[in-house]
Amino acid sequence: FVAKSLVVFHVHGFSSTVSSDAVILVAELLKVFVEEATRRAVKQADSEDCDTIDIEHFEKILPQLLLDF
Amino acid sequence: MDEDEAQKQRLKAAVHYTVGRLCQDIAADCEKQITKQTIAAIAETAFRQCDIFAKDLEAFARHAKRHTVTVDDVKLTARRTTALYNYIQQKSEELALNNQELKEKRKKNAAKRKSKDMEAEEENELED
Repeated sequence: FVAKSLVVFHVHGFSSTVSSDAVILVAELLKVFVEEATRRAVKQADSEDCDTIDIEHFEKILPQLLLDF
Repeated sequence: MDEDEAQKQRLKAAVHYTVGRLCQDIAADCEKQITKQTIAAIAETAFRQCDIFAKDLEAFARHAKRHTVTVDDVKLTARRTTALYNYIQQKSEELALNNQELKEKRKKNAAKRKSKDMEAEEENELED
C-alpha cells in the first residue's frame, strides 16, 4: 500500500514538493476512493440480484462517485 | 517524453495491482465475484482521480504562497462529503499524535545519550 503513496509523489512532480504526512493522507484518500467505488458497485450488483460485479454496475455508480469526491 | 510515458505506465501498473487486491478483498467480503474489466476500470478511474487531486493540491499550496503541499491542503481536497472530511481529519490527528510521540522518544534518546556521554566523560576525568 506504500506503493500508492509513491504513486502520488511521482505522478505529479509539478514544481512543488509534498510533506510526508500529506503523502500518507493522500494515500488514505485514494484508498477510501477505491473502497467506496467497489462497495457502491457491490450494492448496485446486489440491487440487480447479480452475483458478479460487472462493469455496468460500476458505470452506473460512477457519476455520483465522481461528484462526491 | 518517452521516459515520462514509461514511468506513467509503471505507476498505472502499480495502482492496478493495489486496486485489484483491495477489490478482491471487498468482493470476497461481500461474497461476490468481480470481473477483471471492472477492476481495470476502477484502477483507471483512481489514477485519473489522483491526477485531479494532485492538481488541486498544487493549486492550494500555490494559493497559500507555499512550495510544499501540507496536510491542510489535503484536508481541503476532501471537502465535498462531510463524512470524508471528518475521516481525513481523524487520520491527520492520528498522524500528528504519532509525530509527537516520535519527537518525544527522540528527545528521550538524545537525553539518555547526553547523560551517558557525560558519565563517560566523568569516568575519563576520574581516571585521569
